[in-house]
Amino acid sequence: MDSKYNDSVIRWTKIATIIFILLVVAADCTGPIITRFVTVVWADRLDTPAFVMMTVLFYVGTLFGYVVLFSVFKLLDNMSKDIVFDRANTKLMRYIVIGLISAGLVCAIAGYIWISMLYLTVVAFFMALIVLSVKIVFDKAITMKEDLDLTI
Amino acid sequence: MAIIVNLDVMMAKRKISSGELAEKIGITPANLSILKNQKAKAVRFSTLNDICKALECQPGDILEYQED
Repeated sequence: MDSKYNDSVIRWTKIATIIFILLVVAADCTGPIITRFVTVVWADRLDTPAFVMMTVLFYVGTLFGYVVLFSVFKLLDNMSKDIVFDRANTKLMRYIVIGLISAGLVCAIAGYIWISMLYLTVVAFFMALIVLSVKIVFDKAITMKEDLDLTI
Repeated sequence: MAIIVNLDVMMAKRKISSGELAEKIGITPANLSILKNQKAKAVRFSTLNDICKALECQPGDILEYQED
């Protein structure tokens, strides 16, 4: 029962991750339109340097978004194959943390153009903190599992 | 590690092969190899009991403490 429920959760989470990846692809395709809207309408900045900087930061940010989303997808894929307490998963979690912190820093720089981007920085850093905590739990569990595997 | 497993010495004394001992004590030859090659992190009392029973020896004949 629990296993079926978990498999279902993993399957739906993988679907959600794919949808998020497609959304980021769509955002990348319409990048200049989005950044123009954010810079002009929300940030009330009409200068070209602000638009160019926002566009560059947007694409750098989505790059880290891909790192995070593909790592999450691979992590879920491992979970569905019953590869749970494995060093490969903690490596993926490290990529997620690095991706989130980098995306947070990009948002912090974008805060220079539009101050509300700093909210995204806080959210990204908080998510990185949570993933880092889970990574530490996994690291400890893997060490315990390795000890148990070598108990004869 | 400071604890040395002298299982191969006792096995040679009793003229018993790895496969035979593994079958007698009910563990896989791979796990017996881990034990013999000093790779094990811990030994269960039940395993130690079975080894002593199969080899007709004391735990001290199999395990030895050596200064690092």
